[in-house]
Amino acid sequence: MNLPDYEFLSAPLWLVTVLHLLTFTLHLVAMNFLLGGVFITLWSSARKRWDGPTAAGFTRIFPAATAATVTLGVAPLLFLQLVFHRQMYSAAIVSGWFWLLVIAAVIVAYYALYRASFEGQRTDRASKAALLLALLGLLYVSLVYSSVFSMAEQPALIRNLYAKDQSGWVWNPAVGDYGLRWLHMVLGAVTVGGFFVGLLGRNDMEVFATGKTFLVGGMVAAALTGMVYLLSLEQHLAALMHTPAIWALTAAVALSLVSLHFFFKKNFWLSGVTLFLSVAGMVFVRHTVRLLRLAGEFDPASWRVAPQWSPFAMFLVCFVVMLIVLAWMLRMFFGAKRNAA
Amino acid sequence: MSYPFWDVPIGYGVLMAVIAVFHVFVSHFAIGGGLYLVVSEQLARKAGDSPRLEFLEKLSRFFVLVTLVAGALTGVGIWFIIGLIAPTATEALIHNYVWGWATEWTFFVVEIAAAMIYFYGWKTMTPRAHMAVGWVYFVFAWLSLFIINGIITFMLTPGQWLATGDFWDGFFNPTFWASLVLRTGVCVMLAGLYALLVASRYQAGEFKERTVRYTAGWGVVGLAVTALCQYWYWKAIPAAVVAKALQTMPTPIHSIEYSVWLAAGIGALLVVFGVLAPRRLSMAAAALLMVLGLAWFGAFEWFRESIRKPYVITGYIYGNGVELAKTASYKKDGYLAQVVYRTGDDGADLFRHACRSCHTLDGYKALKPVFDGTDRAFIAAIIRSAHLLKGNMPPFLGTAAEADKIADYLSQRLDKRPLAEIYKLEGVELGRKAYELRCGKCHVIGAASDKSKSFAGQSADDLNNMLNMAADLGAGMPAYTGAATERGALVSFLAQLGKGAKK
Ligand code: HEC
Ligand code: HEC
Repeated sequence: MNLPDYEFLSAPLWLVTVLHLLTFTLHLVAMNFLLGGVFITLWSSARKRWDGPTAAGFTRIFPAATAATVTLGVAPLLFLQLVFHRQMYSAAIVSGWFWLLVIAAVIVAYYALYRASFEGQRTDRASKAALLLALLGLLYVSLVYSSVFSMAEQPALIRNLYAKDQSGWVWNPAVGDYGLRWLHMVLGAVTVGGFFVGLLGRNDMEVFATGKTFLVGGMVAAALTGMVYLLSLEQHLAALMHTPAIWALTAAVALSLVSLHFFFKKNFWLSGVTLFLSVAGMVFVRHTVRLLRLAGEFDPASWRVAPQWSPFAMFLVCFVVMLIVLAWMLRMFFGAKRNAA
Repeated sequence: MSYPFWDVPIGYGVLMAVIAVFHVFVSHFAIGGGLYLVVSEQLARKAGDSPRLEFLEKLSRFFVLVTLVAGALTGVGIWFIIGLIAPTATEALIHNYVWGWATEWTFFVVEIAAAMIYFYGWKTMTPRAHMAVGWVYFVFAWLSLFIINGIITFMLTPGQWLATGDFWDGFFNPTFWASLVLRTGVCVMLAGLYALLVASRYQAGEFKERTVRYTAGWGVVGLAVTALCQYWYWKAIPAAVVAKALQTMPTPIHSIEYSVWLAAGIGALLVVFGVLAPRRLSMAAAALLMVLGLAWFGAFEWFRESIRKPYVITGYIYGNGVELAKTASYKKDGYLAQVVYRTGDDGADLFRHACRSCHTLDGYKALKPVFDGTDRAFIAAIIRSAHLLKGNMPPFLGTAAEADKIADYLSQRLDKRPLAEIYKLEGVELGRKAYELRCGKCHVIGAASDKSKSFAGQSADDLNNMLNMAADLGAGMPAYTGAATERGALVSFLAQLGKGAKK
């Protein structure tokens, strides 16, 4: 009997890529709010820049932000696996234990955030300790992701590391390769976190000022690390110059400046949209870097495409239903809250 | 074999079970619990029953903490772990079902959002809106089950898909509906058990009495649906799969028997506390119910996983990632030609990809004790005949030279002393051990492959002769390569077996 072959893409590559990058951008925004938000809240309470109620107000939202980060993270992970599973699983297997501990770290962080949010302003110390624990958990996750995904872009490195040690306790030793990349992502999170802090604290001078500090400071620092990272890519950088990604990068940088401008004018709508587009641009650049680094080893365009349109239609319909139901529930929820207030 | 191999000292089966059992338990509860909350809220509001509403609000806090955090994340954890321990099968599942998973994701998003809004909205939302959100939660949580059920049942019974490769053929496979209804019953039952745990903490009184009574009803209904469906599910599994399991694997069948006893225990406790003494439901009793529920469901899931052996996807991919579609190329060029990540030690690489996903050397399903005191030629023969061994093993499809390499690798790690010395045995007892190690792997005494009758009435010389030509007795049967002392002992044991069989 001829058994079915599973080595195919059930939709054109461009469609999968669009979904992948779109959902990943959404995930990044939620993650940035969470990671940046927790960091800024901790920092501001430690420096006594914020009073208890302000910090508690932010702390109350973090569990929901975690839920959003996790749920929005599942989709891009799915699409990533669909196209790049060979690279991704291989890298994950080599660092198996560290990879698996991501789940434990997220669970710890999540519970810590719930703990802090239920704590309210009652015991400031306990709540701070919980936030700190959550921050450490989140940083662990981000570091593992940077190290594993960067390893996934270097099949030769995976082969070498695996040949030496198969226990799953291998931590990617090429820190120079992903350290900056990780720092860039974290600083980006602080930047976007600063935006959200400013947005939510727009009516409180002190809070808005904090948001502004982190937005501007984060952006400068992220730009610097991003720049150095790009330079460290050497020959890939030259290749990058010949792809549309260089335009996306230029646009993303310009958009982030535009976003700053609107932020200062307290036009959060335009500031938010431009910031989002800027993040999307960066995501595209990151994707291009991945393709360039994998060139010669793997080209996603080599996938045979055998569309499954009816299951895809099911997905599309459910996706639209999801948006409608979400909007409807959120309207009811916030409408009720406004009425209550 | 396109991936590196994660060489953990813990058995893959154990690793998977730890995460999966917990996740499956919580995720079914998450669905049933949602239904319990919204139905009970509706009843309580109609009756103006404010203590009940308070109880439900408390329950929903627990619910959010358990399901949204532990439930959702262990679900993601399953993705992580299967990518590590069964990357090939995961790859196949994702390529075939990516739009199924993506659809499931849309349900997941709504489910999570609804759970949070429901939890945070108790005080602020209108009852109508609040209950509407509760229903949205339940419907979408159940829809996620609908999708995942299609993929899980596909793995056991891919049905027509094996011929057509069509998404829907695999999705609506022979066990789809039975499993869906069964799991829905489990959801309802677990919701009951869980709410009982919360209710048990209340002081004995009128409120506790009616709450326990009502909640026990959920448990009973869920249990009844489940019990009926278990039979239906069992019948829906193709006869060939069941027959093979019955013949070679008594354990999964035992697990079904346990599960009947566990279900009876759960039913009895539910009746005792639900009908006879609801006020006396203590934390301990409620916790016991919970444990029984976990054990029961564990037994069922274990059964499902066991009868799927030796496959991950029946008729398509074996438990070690060996793909049936590649049989011809394995046989021609061997496994190593397909192993992408090499370590320089071919024996170790082959052992990992051929055996290690189910066995360890000296931990879970250890191979050291079953080979200690035997020899390289014997091990190589056993590997080539893996499909003949008890326990439903995948066949070894690599080359003979590769079987030798694995045998080398293993024999270097074994106890090389003679059997008599390792186990401090002599005479017939030594023979029994030799039988266990050299014959019992295929000829299980008392099972279909028992050969005791062939030894009846044979002299020691006859039996010795038989051992001389062992390799000719059946295709795949190993030559006798043991030492002389062992051989004598084995012959006396075989003679004894023969006498027993004649009676
Ligand atoms: C898909 C899972 C799987 C793979 C792969 C696998 N086995 Fe097994 N094996 C089993 C199971 C299940 C049993 C039954 C064990 C039991 O009953 O405890 C078993 C039993 C055995 C036994 C008999 C144990 C005894 O009690 O005498 C031997 C020997 C064995 N396997 C060797 C191997 C070797 C060598 C390989 C690699 C070539 C291998 N197995 C690959 C699942 C597997
Ligand atoms: C790898 C599996 C395997 C092992 C181990 C094994 N056998 Fe067999 N044996 C077979 C197969 C296959 C046959 C032929 C099919 C059948 O008769 O069931 C067979 C047949 C036999 C027969 C039947 C011959 C007949 O014509 O009735 C006897 C007797 C026998 N084996 C004895 C032994 C003894 C004794 C040992 C241990 C020294 C042993 N076998 C080990 C697989 C095995």
